[in-house]
Amino acid sequence: MAIARRRPRRQEGQISGFLLISPAMLLLIVFVAIPALWIFWLSFQRWDLISGTSDYIATANYQRLLLRDEVFRKSVWQTVYYVVGTVPTSMALGLFLAVLLNRAMPLRDLLRTLIFTPYVMPIVSTALIFSFIYHPDVGVLNALLNGVGLPKINWLSSPRAVMPAIILYSVWQHTGYNTVIYLAGLANLGPELDEAARVDGARAWQRFWHVTWPLLSPTTYFVLLVNMIASFKVVQPILIFAGGVSGAVAGGGGPDKAAETIGYYLYVQAFSFFHAGYAAAISVVLFLIILAITGLQVGIISRRVFYR
Amino acid sequence: MMTRRRAFGLLPRYLVLVPFAALFVFPFYWMLVISLGTLQSVFVFPPYLYPLGHFENYLSAVGLLPDPSTGQYLQIPWARYFLNTVIVAVSSTALVLVTSVLAGYAFASMPFPGKRVIFGLVLAIYMVPAEVTLVPNFIILADLHWIDSYQAQIVPFGASVFGIFLMRQFFLGLPHDLWEAAQLDGTGHLRFLWLIAAPLARPPMVTIALFHFVASWNAFLWPLIVTNSDNYRPVQVGLEAFSYADATNPVLHAAGSLMVTLPILIMFLLAQRQIVGGIAASGIRG
Repeated sequence: MAIARRRPRRQEGQISGFLLISPAMLLLIVFVAIPALWIFWLSFQRWDLISGTSDYIATANYQRLLLRDEVFRKSVWQTVYYVVGTVPTSMALGLFLAVLLNRAMPLRDLLRTLIFTPYVMPIVSTALIFSFIYHPDVGVLNALLNGVGLPKINWLSSPRAVMPAIILYSVWQHTGYNTVIYLAGLANLGPELDEAARVDGARAWQRFWHVTWPLLSPTTYFVLLVNMIASFKVVQPILIFAGGVSGAVAGGGGPDKAAETIGYYLYVQAFSFFHAGYAAAISVVLFLIILAITGLQVGIISRRVFYR
Repeated sequence: MMTRRRAFGLLPRYLVLVPFAALFVFPFYWMLVISLGTLQSVFVFPPYLYPLGHFENYLSAVGLLPDPSTGQYLQIPWARYFLNTVIVAVSSTALVLVTSVLAGYAFASMPFPGKRVIFGLVLAIYMVPAEVTLVPNFIILADLHWIDSYQAQIVPFGASVFGIFLMRQFFLGLPHDLWEAAQLDGTGHLRFLWLIAAPLARPPMVTIALFHFVASWNAFLWPLIVTNSDNYRPVQVGLEAFSYADATNPVLHAAGSLMVTLPILIMFLLAQRQIVGGIAASGIRG
Protein backbone atom coordinates (compact mmCIF):
# COMPACT_ATOMS: atom_id res chain seq x y z
CA MET A 1 0.00 0.00 0.00
CA ALA A 2 2.73 2.41 1.05
CA ILE A 3 4.74 1.53 -2.04
CA ALA A 4 1.79 2.12 -4.33
CA ARG A 5 1.27 5.53 -2.87
CA ARG A 6 4.90 6.52 -3.41
CA ARG A 7 4.81 5.68 -7.11
CA PRO A 8 4.88 8.93 -9.07
CA ARG A 9 1.51 9.55 -10.68
CA ARG A 10 2.71 10.47 -14.12
CA GLN A 11 -0.56 11.67 -15.59
CA GLU A 12 -0.91 14.45 -13.03
CA GLY A 13 2.68 15.52 -13.50
CA GLN A 14 2.12 15.76 -17.23
CA ILE A 15 -0.35 18.63 -17.06
CA SER A 16 0.66 21.07 -19.73
CA GLY A 17 2.20 24.45 -19.03
CA PHE A 18 -0.06 25.79 -21.77
CA LEU A 19 -3.05 25.12 -19.55
CA LEU A 20 -1.60 27.23 -16.75
CA ILE A 21 -0.64 30.17 -18.92
CA SER A 22 -3.87 30.10 -20.93
CA PRO A 23 -6.08 32.32 -18.69
CA ALA A 24 -3.46 35.08 -18.61
CA MET A 25 -2.63 34.66 -22.30
CA LEU A 26 -6.28 34.76 -23.35
CA LEU A 27 -6.84 38.04 -21.48
CA LEU A 28 -3.61 39.63 -22.73
CA ILE A 29 -4.34 38.61 -26.32
CA VAL A 30 -7.98 39.79 -26.33
CA PHE A 31 -7.54 43.04 -24.40
CA VAL A 32 -3.98 44.12 -25.24
CA ALA A 33 -2.42 42.36 -28.25
CA ILE A 34 -5.42 42.35 -30.58
CA PRO A 35 -6.39 45.98 -29.77
CA ALA A 36 -2.77 47.09 -30.26
CA LEU A 37 -2.72 45.58 -33.75
CA TRP A 38 -6.31 46.51 -34.51
CA ILE A 39 -5.72 50.27 -34.20
CA PHE A 40 -3.59 50.11 -37.37
CA TRP A 41 -6.47 48.59 -39.35
CA LEU A 42 -9.08 50.84 -37.69
CA SER A 43 -7.09 53.90 -38.63
CA PHE A 44 -7.85 53.28 -42.32
CA GLN A 45 -11.61 53.27 -41.68
CA ARG A 46 -14.30 55.82 -41.15
CA TRP A 47 -15.91 54.19 -38.12
CA ASP A 48 -18.79 55.62 -36.16
CA LEU A 49 -18.71 54.45 -32.56
CA ILE A 50 -22.45 54.91 -32.01
CA SER A 51 -23.93 53.30 -35.12
CA GLY A 52 -21.04 50.89 -35.65
CA THR A 53 -20.99 51.67 -39.38
CA SER A 54 -17.62 51.66 -41.10
CA ASP A 55 -16.08 52.04 -44.52
CA TYR A 56 -12.54 51.88 -45.84
CA ILE A 57 -11.12 55.30 -46.60
CA ALA A 58 -7.44 54.40 -47.08
CA THR A 59 -5.13 57.08 -45.68
CA ALA A 60 -7.73 59.85 -45.44
CA ASN A 61 -7.56 59.89 -41.63
CA TYR A 62 -3.79 60.36 -41.71
CA GLN A 63 -3.93 63.03 -44.38
CA ARG A 64 -6.40 65.03 -42.34
CA LEU A 65 -4.55 64.38 -39.05
CA LEU A 66 -1.04 65.18 -40.20
CA LEU A 67 -1.71 67.84 -42.85
CA ARG A 68 -4.90 69.71 -42.03
CA ASP A 69 -5.83 69.27 -38.38
CA GLU A 70 -4.82 72.41 -36.49
CA VAL A 71 -6.04 71.03 -33.16
CA PHE A 72 -3.90 67.94 -33.50
CA ARG A 73 -0.85 70.04 -34.38
CA LYS A 74 -1.50 72.14 -31.32
CA SER A 75 -1.94 69.00 -29.19
CA VAL A 76 1.49 67.73 -30.25
CA TRP A 77 3.15 70.98 -29.18
CA GLN A 78 1.20 71.17 -25.94
CA THR A 79 2.19 67.57 -25.19
CA VAL A 80 5.84 68.40 -25.77
CA TYR A 81 5.40 71.45 -23.53
CA TYR A 82 3.87 69.24 -20.85
CA VAL A 83 6.64 66.62 -21.11
CA VAL A 84 9.43 69.21 -21.06
CA GLY A 85 7.80 70.98 -18.12
CA THR A 86 7.09 67.87 -16.09
CA VAL A 87 9.80 65.27 -16.64
CA PRO A 88 13.05 67.17 -15.91
CA THR A 89 11.47 69.04 -12.99
CA SER A 90 10.08 66.02 -11.23
CA MET A 91 13.23 63.97 -11.94
CA ALA A 92 15.55 66.66 -10.60
CA LEU A 93 13.37 67.22 -7.56
CA GLY A 94 13.06 63.48 -6.99
CA LEU A 95 16.84 63.06 -7.15
CA PHE A 96 17.44 66.07 -4.90
CA LEU A 97 15.08 64.75 -2.23
CA ALA A 98 16.47 61.22 -2.54
CA VAL A 99 20.04 62.44 -2.01
CA LEU A 100 18.94 64.30 1.11
CA LEU A 101 17.06 61.28 2.41
CA ASN A 102 19.86 58.84 1.61
CA ARG A 103 21.23 58.60 5.08
CA ALA A 104 20.27 57.11 8.43
CA MET A 105 18.35 59.84 10.21
CA PRO A 106 15.31 60.20 12.47
CA LEU A 107 11.95 60.59 10.68
CA ARG A 108 13.45 59.40 7.38
CA ASP A 109 10.68 56.89 6.64
CA LEU A 110 7.99 59.38 7.57
CA LEU A 111 9.39 62.07 5.27
CA ARG A 112 9.72 59.57 2.42
CA THR A 113 6.13 58.41 2.93
CA LEU A 114 4.77 61.96 2.94
CA ILE A 115 6.58 62.78 -0.29
CA PHE A 116 5.37 59.55 -1.91
CA THR A 117 1.71 59.75 -0.84
CA PRO A 118 0.40 61.90 -3.75
CA TYR A 119 1.51 59.22 -6.23
CA VAL A 120 -0.93 56.61 -4.86
CA MET A 121 -3.91 58.87 -4.23
CA PRO A 122 -6.84 59.08 -6.66
CA ILE A 123 -6.31 61.67 -9.40
CA VAL A 124 -9.94 62.78 -9.37
CA SER A 125 -9.92 63.95 -5.77
CA THR A 126 -6.41 65.42 -5.73
CA ALA A 127 -7.06 67.30 -8.97
CA LEU A 128 -10.33 68.58 -7.52
CA ILE A 129 -8.45 69.98 -4.53
CA PHE A 130 -5.87 71.56 -6.81
CA SER A 131 -8.66 73.30 -8.68
CA PHE A 132 -9.63 74.93 -5.35
CA ILE A 133 -6.01 75.86 -4.75
CA TYR A 134 -5.94 77.38 -8.26
CA HIS A 135 -9.23 79.27 -7.80
CA PRO A 136 -8.69 82.75 -9.29
CA ASP A 137 -10.53 84.72 -6.58
CA VAL A 138 -10.23 82.76 -3.36
CA GLY A 139 -7.56 80.15 -4.08
CA VAL A 140 -4.67 79.78 -1.70
CA LEU A 141 -2.07 80.00 -4.47
CA ASN A 142 -3.27 83.44 -5.50
CA ALA A 143 -3.37 84.42 -1.83
CA LEU A 144 0.30 83.49 -1.68
CA LEU A 145 1.10 85.51 -4.83
CA ASN A 146 -0.88 88.41 -3.45
CA GLY A 147 1.00 88.17 -0.19
CA VAL A 148 4.34 88.72 -1.92
CA GLY A 149 2.93 91.54 -4.05
CA LEU A 150 2.36 89.65 -7.32
CA PRO A 151 -0.88 89.89 -9.32
CA LYS A 152 -3.51 87.13 -9.20
CA ILE A 153 -3.50 84.64 -12.06
CA ASN A 154 -6.49 82.92 -13.66
CA TRP A 155 -4.74 79.58 -13.38
CA LEU A 156 -7.20 77.31 -15.14
CA SER A 157 -8.92 79.79 -17.44
CA SER A 158 -6.00 81.64 -18.97
CA PRO A 159 -4.34 80.06 -22.02
CA ARG A 160 -0.91 80.95 -20.73
CA ALA A 161 -1.37 79.66 -17.19
CA VAL A 162 -3.37 76.48 -17.61
CA MET A 163 -0.48 74.27 -18.77
CA PRO A 164 1.91 75.46 -16.03
CA ALA A 165 -0.87 74.75 -13.51
CA ILE A 166 -1.30 71.20 -14.81
CA ILE A 167 2.48 70.71 -14.91
CA LEU A 168 2.76 71.84 -11.29
CA TYR A 169 0.06 69.35 -10.32
CA SER A 170 1.82 66.54 -12.19
CA VAL A 171 5.18 67.35 -10.62
CA TRP A 172 3.52 67.25 -7.19
CA GLN A 173 1.87 63.96 -8.11
CA HIS A 174 4.87 62.20 -9.66
CA THR A 175 7.95 63.38 -7.74
CA GLY A 176 7.45 60.90 -4.90
CA TYR A 177 7.73 58.02 -7.36
CA ASN A 178 11.05 59.35 -8.67
CA THR A 179 12.30 59.91 -5.12
CA VAL A 180 11.57 56.30 -4.17
CA ILE A 181 13.24 54.88 -7.30
CA TYR A 182 16.28 57.12 -6.82
CA LEU A 183 16.51 56.16 -3.14
CA ALA A 184 16.56 52.51 -4.18
CA GLY A 185 19.24 53.29 -6.76
CA LEU A 186 21.34 55.13 -4.17
CA ALA A 187 20.94 52.31 -1.64
CA ASN A 188 22.19 49.94 -4.33
CA LEU A 189 25.40 51.92 -4.80
CA GLY A 190 26.46 51.53 -1.20
CA PRO A 191 28.60 54.05 0.65
CA GLU A 192 32.10 52.69 -0.18
CA LEU A 193 32.97 54.78 -3.24
CA ASP A 194 31.55 57.91 -1.71
CA GLU A 195 33.66 57.25 1.41
CA ALA A 196 36.75 56.71 -0.71
CA ALA A 197 36.21 60.02 -2.49
CA ARG A 198 35.67 61.70 0.87
CA VAL A 199 38.98 60.33 2.12
CA ASP A 200 40.59 61.73 -1.03
CA GLY A 201 39.28 65.14 0.02
CA ALA A 202 36.55 65.56 -2.60
CA ARG A 203 33.87 68.07 -1.72
CA ALA A 204 30.21 67.05 -1.48
CA TRP A 205 29.32 68.54 -4.87
CA GLN A 206 32.38 66.91 -6.54
CA ARG A 207 31.51 63.56 -4.94
CA PHE A 208 27.98 63.81 -6.27
CA TRP A 209 28.96 64.89 -9.76
CA HIS A 210 31.94 62.58 -10.30
CA VAL A 211 30.94 59.53 -8.29
CA THR A 212 27.22 59.29 -7.51
CA TRP A 213 25.74 60.72 -10.71
CA PRO A 214 27.66 58.47 -13.14
CA LEU A 215 27.01 55.40 -10.99
CA LEU A 216 23.33 56.27 -10.85
CA SER A 217 22.97 56.38 -14.63
CA PRO A 218 21.07 53.05 -14.92
CA THR A 219 18.50 54.41 -12.46
CA THR A 220 18.31 57.73 -14.28
CA TYR A 221 17.83 55.90 -17.55
CA PHE A 222 14.95 53.88 -16.08
CA VAL A 223 13.31 56.89 -14.43
CA LEU A 224 13.61 58.94 -17.63
CA LEU A 225 11.95 56.22 -19.69
CA VAL A 226 9.06 55.71 -17.27
CA ASN A 227 8.49 59.46 -16.86
CA MET A 228 8.63 60.20 -20.59
CA ILE A 229 6.15 57.47 -21.45
CA ALA A 230 3.76 58.43 -18.65
CA SER A 231 3.91 62.10 -19.67
CA PHE A 232 3.53 61.63 -23.43
CA LYS A 233 0.29 59.70 -22.98
CA VAL A 234 -1.19 62.01 -20.33
CA VAL A 235 -5.00 62.17 -20.34
CA GLN A 236 -6.54 62.15 -16.89
CA PRO A 237 -5.29 65.43 -15.34
CA ILE A 238 -6.22 67.21 -18.58
CA LEU A 239 -9.67 65.68 -18.48
CA ILE A 240 -10.25 66.94 -14.95
CA PHE A 241 -8.60 70.36 -15.15
CA ALA A 242 -9.45 71.31 -18.71
CA GLY A 243 -12.18 69.04 -19.98
CA GLY A 244 -14.30 67.38 -17.43
CA VAL A 245 -17.31 65.24 -18.06
CA SER A 246 -19.37 68.10 -19.42
CA GLY A 247 -16.51 70.09 -20.91
CA ALA A 248 -15.46 67.20 -23.11
CA VAL A 249 -18.78 67.34 -24.94
CA ALA A 250 -17.78 70.69 -26.35
CA GLY A 251 -14.30 69.46 -27.18
CA GLY A 252 -12.65 70.73 -24.01
CA GLY A 253 -8.92 71.14 -23.98
CA GLY A 254 -8.90 74.22 -21.82
CA PRO A 255 -8.89 77.90 -22.82
CA ASP A 256 -7.79 78.33 -26.43
CA LYS A 257 -6.99 74.57 -26.51
CA ALA A 258 -3.91 75.39 -24.43
CA ALA A 259 -4.24 72.17 -22.45
CA GLU A 260 -4.95 69.91 -25.41
CA THR A 261 -2.61 66.91 -25.42
CA ILE A 262 -2.42 64.02 -27.87
CA GLY A 263 -3.95 61.58 -25.38
CA TYR A 264 -6.75 63.98 -24.52
CA TYR A 265 -7.49 64.68 -28.19
CA LEU A 266 -7.65 60.93 -28.78
CA TYR A 267 -10.20 60.62 -25.98
CA VAL A 268 -12.32 63.50 -27.27
CA GLN A 269 -12.34 62.26 -30.87
CA ALA A 270 -13.35 58.77 -29.76
CA PHE A 271 -15.78 59.37 -26.94
CA SER A 272 -17.20 62.85 -27.51
CA PHE A 273 -17.31 62.87 -31.31
CA PHE A 274 -17.40 59.04 -31.74
CA HIS A 275 -14.87 59.15 -34.60
CA ALA A 276 -13.34 55.76 -33.83
CA GLY A 277 -11.29 55.54 -37.02
CA TYR A 278 -9.83 59.01 -36.59
CA ALA A 279 -9.11 58.32 -32.92
CA ALA A 280 -7.38 55.09 -33.98
CA ALA A 281 -5.11 57.11 -36.27
CA ILE A 282 -4.22 59.33 -33.29
CA SER A 283 -3.62 56.16 -31.24
CA VAL A 284 -1.21 54.90 -33.89
CA VAL A 285 0.74 58.16 -33.83
CA LEU A 286 0.87 58.12 -30.01
CA PHE A 287 1.93 54.46 -30.02
CA LEU A 288 4.70 55.14 -32.54
CA ILE A 289 5.95 58.09 -30.46
CA ILE A 290 6.12 55.89 -27.37
CA LEU A 291 7.85 53.08 -29.25
CA ALA A 292 10.31 55.59 -30.67
CA ILE A 293 11.14 56.95 -27.22
CA THR A 294 11.69 53.44 -25.93
CA GLY A 295 13.75 52.50 -28.96
CA LEU A 296 15.87 55.66 -28.83
CA GLN A 297 16.63 55.21 -25.17
CA VAL A 298 17.42 51.53 -25.49
CA GLY A 299 19.53 52.18 -28.60
CA ILE A 300 21.48 55.34 -27.80
CA ILE A 301 21.36 56.35 -24.18
CA SER A 302 21.77 52.89 -22.72
CA ARG A 303 25.14 52.58 -24.47
CA ARG A 304 26.36 55.53 -22.46
CA VAL A 305 24.93 54.23 -19.22
CA PHE A 306 27.57 53.24 -16.77
CA TYR A 307 26.97 49.75 -15.46
CA ARG A 308 29.14 48.62 -12.63
CA MET B 1 29.02 65.62 22.27
CA MET B 2 29.39 63.44 19.22
CA THR B 3 25.65 62.89 18.84
CA ARG B 4 24.93 66.55 19.29
CA ARG B 5 27.39 67.39 16.52
CA ARG B 6 25.77 64.76 14.30
CA ALA B 7 22.31 66.12 14.95
CA PHE B 8 23.61 69.59 14.13
CA GLY B 9 25.06 68.27 10.88
CA LEU B 10 21.66 66.90 9.90
CA LEU B 11 19.92 70.22 10.50
CA PRO B 12 20.31 71.61 6.95
CA ARG B 13 18.73 68.44 5.57
CA TYR B 14 15.69 68.86 7.78
CA LEU B 15 15.46 72.54 6.91
CA VAL B 16 15.03 71.52 3.27
CA LEU B 17 13.16 68.23 3.67
CA VAL B 18 10.50 69.28 6.16
CA PRO B 19 9.16 72.23 4.10
CA PHE B 20 9.15 70.02 1.01
CA ALA B 21 7.29 67.25 2.80
CA ALA B 22 4.82 69.87 4.04
CA LEU B 23 4.27 71.03 0.46
CA PHE B 24 3.51 67.48 -0.62
CA VAL B 25 1.02 67.01 2.21
CA PHE B 26 -0.56 70.45 2.00
CA PRO B 27 -3.29 69.60 -0.58
CA PHE B 28 -4.59 66.83 1.69
CA TYR B 29 -4.69 69.25 4.61
CA TRP B 30 -6.42 71.75 2.36
CA MET B 31 -9.03 69.14 1.42
CA LEU B 32 -9.78 68.81 5.13
CA VAL B 33 -9.86 72.59 5.70
CA ILE B 34 -12.34 73.23 2.88
CA SER B 35 -14.51 70.26 3.77
CA LEU B 36 -14.94 71.56 7.32
CA GLY B 37 -15.58 75.17 6.33
CA THR B 38 -18.71 77.08 5.37
CA LEU B 39 -19.63 78.67 2.05
CA GLN B 40 -18.67 82.00 3.59
CA SER B 41 -15.33 80.82 4.97
CA VAL B 42 -14.37 79.24 1.66
CA PHE B 43 -15.25 82.25 -0.47
CA VAL B 44 -13.19 84.65 1.54
CA PHE B 45 -9.92 86.22 0.56
CA PRO B 46 -7.35 85.71 1.94
CA PRO B 47 -8.53 82.17 2.81
CA TYR B 48 -8.78 80.64 6.27
CA LEU B 49 -5.77 78.38 6.76
CA TYR B 50 -7.18 76.19 9.53
CA PRO B 51 -10.23 73.89 9.68
CA LEU B 52 -13.42 75.28 11.22
CA GLY B 53 -15.06 72.08 12.42
CA HIS B 54 -18.31 71.97 10.44
CA PHE B 55 -18.52 68.21 10.49
CA GLU B 56 -22.18 68.41 9.46
CA ASN B 57 -20.90 69.07 5.90
CA TYR B 58 -20.24 65.35 5.65
CA LEU B 59 -23.86 64.62 6.54
CA SER B 60 -24.90 67.09 3.84
CA ALA B 61 -22.62 65.41 1.31
CA VAL B 62 -24.24 62.04 1.92
CA GLY B 63 -27.75 63.53 1.86
CA LEU B 64 -28.68 63.24 5.54
CA LEU B 65 -28.80 67.01 5.97
CA PRO B 66 -29.79 69.61 3.37
CA ASP B 67 -27.07 71.24 1.25
CA PRO B 68 -26.51 74.59 3.04
CA SER B 69 -26.17 76.43 -0.29
CA THR B 70 -29.51 75.31 -1.75
CA GLY B 71 -31.51 73.90 1.16
CA GLN B 72 -32.08 70.75 -0.88
CA TYR B 73 -31.08 67.23 0.11
CA LEU B 74 -28.37 65.84 -2.18
CA GLN B 75 -29.25 62.52 -3.80
CA ILE B 76 -25.79 61.08 -4.43
CA PRO B 77 -25.75 57.26 -4.24
CA TRP B 78 -22.39 57.13 -2.46
CA ALA B 79 -23.07 53.72 -0.94
CA ARG B 80 -23.74 52.30 -4.41
CA TYR B 81 -20.56 53.95 -5.79
CA PHE B 82 -18.43 52.56 -2.96
CA LEU B 83 -19.99 49.12 -3.33
CA ASN B 84 -19.26 49.18 -7.08
CA THR B 85 -15.66 50.19 -6.49
CA VAL B 86 -15.16 47.49 -3.86
CA ILE B 87 -16.71 44.81 -6.08
CA VAL B 88 -14.52 45.80 -9.03
CA ALA B 89 -11.32 46.24 -7.02
CA VAL B 90 -11.66 42.99 -5.06
CA SER B 91 -12.64 40.79 -7.98
CA SER B 92 -10.12 42.16 -10.43
CA THR B 93 -7.38 41.82 -7.79
CA ALA B 94 -8.40 38.20 -7.19
CA LEU B 95 -8.41 37.52 -10.93
CA VAL B 96 -4.98 39.07 -11.39
CA LEU B 97 -3.57 36.98 -8.55
CA VAL B 98 -4.91 33.74 -10.03
CA THR B 99 -3.73 34.43 -13.58
CA SER B 100 -0.33 35.72 -12.40
CA VAL B 101 0.37 32.78 -10.09
CA LEU B 102 -0.62 30.19 -12.70
CA ALA B 103 1.29 31.81 -15.56
CA GLY B 104 4.27 32.80 -13.41
CA TYR B 105 4.59 29.23 -12.16
CA ALA B 106 4.34 27.73 -15.65
CA PHE B 107 6.95 30.13 -17.06
CA ALA B 108 9.29 29.42 -14.15
CA SER B 109 8.92 25.71 -13.51
CA MET B 110 7.23 23.85 -16.36
CA PRO B 111 8.78 22.86 -19.68
CA PHE B 112 6.64 23.50 -22.73
CA PRO B 113 7.44 24.25 -26.37
CA GLY B 114 7.97 27.89 -27.28
CA LYS B 115 8.20 29.00 -23.65
CA ARG B 116 10.97 31.56 -24.20
CA VAL B 117 9.31 33.08 -27.24
CA ILE B 118 5.94 33.34 -25.52
CA PHE B 119 7.47 34.95 -22.43
CA GLY B 120 9.28 37.43 -24.68
CA LEU B 121 5.98 38.33 -26.30
CA VAL B 122 4.40 38.82 -22.88
CA LEU B 123 7.16 41.27 -21.96
CA ALA B 124 6.67 43.05 -25.30
CA ILE B 125 3.01 43.54 -24.42
CA TYR B 126 4.18 45.60 -21.44
CA MET B 127 5.07 48.33 -23.93
CA VAL B 128 1.47 48.83 -25.05
CA PRO B 129 -0.04 51.70 -23.05
CA ALA B 130 -3.72 51.36 -22.13
CA GLU B 131 -4.45 54.79 -23.61
CA VAL B 132 -3.52 53.52 -27.07
CA THR B 133 -5.98 50.63 -26.95
CA LEU B 134 -8.99 52.56 -25.56
CA VAL B 135 -10.89 52.62 -28.84
CA PRO B 136 -10.61 48.96 -29.92
CA ASN B 137 -11.22 47.82 -26.34
CA PHE B 138 -14.41 49.86 -26.24
CA ILE B 139 -15.54 48.23 -29.51
CA ILE B 140 -14.75 44.76 -28.15
CA LEU B 141 -16.75 45.42 -24.97
CA ALA B 142 -19.64 46.85 -26.97
CA ASP B 143 -19.67 43.70 -29.13
CA LEU B 144 -19.75 41.59 -25.96
CA HIS B 145 -22.65 43.76 -24.68
CA TRP B 146 -20.57 44.53 -21.61
CA ILE B 147 -20.92 48.33 -21.65
CA ASP B 148 -22.19 49.48 -18.25
CA SER B 149 -21.33 46.35 -16.28
CA TYR B 150 -18.93 45.13 -13.63
CA GLN B 151 -17.14 42.75 -15.97
CA ALA B 152 -16.24 45.65 -18.28
CA GLN B 153 -14.19 47.08 -15.40
CA ILE B 154 -12.78 43.74 -14.23
CA VAL B 155 -12.00 41.35 -17.07
CA PRO B 156 -9.85 43.62 -19.32
CA PHE B 157 -7.49 44.07 -16.34
CA GLY B 158 -7.58 40.41 -15.30
CA ALA B 159 -4.02 39.67 -16.42
CA SER B 160 -0.95 41.71 -15.55
CA VAL B 161 2.47 41.48 -17.19
CA PHE B 162 3.99 42.93 -14.04
CA GLY B 163 2.22 40.25 -11.97
CA ILE B 164 3.35 37.39 -14.21
CA PHE B 165 6.90 38.71 -14.19
CA LEU B 166 7.02 39.08 -10.41
CA MET B 167 5.60 35.59 -9.79
CA ARG B 168 7.97 34.01 -12.31
CA GLN B 169 10.94 35.68 -10.62
CA PHE B 170 9.83 34.33 -7.26
CA PHE B 171 9.21 30.77 -8.48
CA LEU B 172 12.58 30.72 -10.28
CA GLY B 173 14.17 31.35 -6.89
CA LEU B 174 12.47 28.40 -5.16
CA PRO B 175 14.90 25.57 -4.34
CA HIS B 176 14.57 22.74 -6.86
CA ASP B 177 14.76 20.19 -4.01
CA LEU B 178 11.24 21.11 -2.99
CA TRP B 179 9.87 20.05 -6.35
CA GLU B 180 11.96 16.87 -6.45
CA ALA B 181 10.81 15.83 -2.99
CA ALA B 182 7.21 16.51 -3.94
CA GLN B 183 7.61 14.46 -7.13
CA LEU B 184 8.82 11.46 -5.14
CA ASP B 185 5.53 11.64 -3.30
CA GLY B 186 3.73 11.58 -6.63
CA THR B 187 2.66 15.19 -6.42
CA GLY B 188 1.93 16.86 -9.75
CA HIS B 189 2.47 20.47 -10.68
CA LEU B 190 -1.00 21.67 -9.73
CA ARG B 191 -0.94 20.07 -6.28
CA PHE B 192 2.61 21.26 -5.69
CA LEU B 193 1.66 24.80 -6.68
CA TRP B 194 -1.47 24.77 -4.50
CA LEU B 195 0.06 23.14 -1.41
CA ILE B 196 3.68 24.29 -1.39
CA ALA B 197 4.75 26.91 -3.94
CA ALA B 198 1.81 29.32 -3.74
CA PRO B 199 1.74 29.46 0.10
CA LEU B 200 5.46 30.31 0.03
CA ALA B 201 4.80 33.06 -2.52
CA ARG B 202 2.88 35.30 -0.14
CA PRO B 203 5.29 38.29 -0.37
CA PRO B 204 5.09 38.84 -4.16
CA MET B 205 1.36 38.09 -4.06
CA VAL B 206 0.85 40.82 -1.45
CA THR B 207 2.80 43.28 -3.60
CA ILE B 208 0.76 42.44 -6.71
CA ALA B 209 -2.52 42.61 -4.79
CA LEU B 210 -1.70 46.00 -3.22
CA PHE B 211 -0.61 47.54 -6.54
CA HIS B 212 -3.62 46.24 -8.36
CA PHE B 213 -6.09 47.19 -5.66
CA VAL B 214 -4.80 50.76 -5.51
CA ALA B 215 -4.86 51.09 -9.30
CA SER B 216 -8.36 49.67 -9.44
CA TRP B 217 -9.63 51.93 -6.66
CA ASN B 218 -8.19 54.99 -8.40
CA ALA B 219 -9.25 53.99 -11.94
CA PHE B 220 -11.03 56.84 -13.65
CA LEU B 221 -10.63 57.06 -17.43
CA TRP B 222 -11.75 53.53 -18.32
CA PRO B 223 -14.79 53.38 -15.99
CA LEU B 224 -15.78 56.85 -17.22
CA ILE B 225 -15.91 55.41 -20.74
CA VAL B 226 -17.57 52.05 -20.07
CA THR B 227 -20.17 52.94 -17.44
CA ASN B 228 -23.19 55.14 -17.95
CA SER B 229 -25.44 54.46 -14.98
CA ASP B 230 -25.12 54.76 -11.23
CA ASN B 231 -25.64 51.00 -10.98
CA TYR B 232 -22.06 50.34 -12.09
CA ARG B 233 -20.25 53.66 -11.65
CA PRO B 234 -17.27 53.56 -9.28
CA VAL B 235 -16.63 56.31 -6.70
CA GLN B 236 -14.08 58.16 -8.83
CA VAL B 237 -16.53 58.65 -11.68
CA GLY B 238 -19.31 59.42 -9.20
CA LEU B 239 -17.17 62.10 -7.53
CA GLU B 240 -16.29 63.66 -10.88
CA ALA B 241 -19.94 63.68 -11.97
CA PHE B 242 -20.97 65.22 -8.63
CA SER B 243 -18.38 67.98 -8.86
CA TYR B 244 -19.54 68.92 -12.35
CA ALA B 245 -23.26 68.45 -11.95
CA ASP B 246 -23.48 70.77 -8.96
CA ALA B 247 -20.88 73.50 -9.08
CA THR B 248 -22.45 75.52 -6.30
CA ASN B 249 -20.92 74.10 -3.16
CA PRO B 250 -17.17 73.42 -3.13
CA VAL B 251 -17.38 72.56 0.57
CA LEU B 252 -19.34 69.42 -0.24
CA HIS B 253 -17.02 68.58 -3.15
CA ALA B 254 -14.10 68.65 -0.74
CA ALA B 255 -16.04 66.46 1.70
CA GLY B 256 -16.72 64.03 -1.16
CA SER B 257 -13.05 64.08 -2.19
CA LEU B 258 -11.96 63.27 1.32
CA MET B 259 -14.43 60.39 1.62
CA VAL B 260 -13.13 58.91 -1.64
CA THR B 261 -9.48 59.42 -0.66
CA LEU B 262 -9.63 58.27 2.94
CA PRO B 263 -9.98 54.48 2.43
CA ILE B 264 -7.01 54.35 0.05
CA LEU B 265 -5.01 56.71 2.27
CA ILE B 266 -5.54 54.44 5.29
CA MET B 267 -4.68 51.37 3.25
CA PHE B 268 -1.53 53.05 1.95
CA LEU B 269 -0.39 54.11 5.42
CA LEU B 270 -0.93 50.58 6.76
CA ALA B 271 0.85 48.92 3.83
CA GLN B 272 3.28 51.67 2.86
CA ARG B 273 6.32 49.49 3.56
CA GLN B 274 5.21 46.89 1.00
CA ILE B 275 4.00 49.46 -1.55
CA VAL B 276 7.11 51.65 -1.40
CA GLY B 277 9.30 48.54 -1.32
CA GLY B 278 7.53 47.13 -4.37
CA ILE B 279 7.99 50.37 -6.32
CA ALA B 280 11.65 50.50 -5.34
CA ALA B 281 12.17 46.88 -6.43
CA SER B 282 10.56 47.56 -9.81
CA GLY B 283 13.12 50.33 -10.33
CA ILE B 284 16.12 48.18 -9.42
CA ARG B 285 15.09 45.54 -11.94
CA GLY B 286 14.67 48.08 -14.70
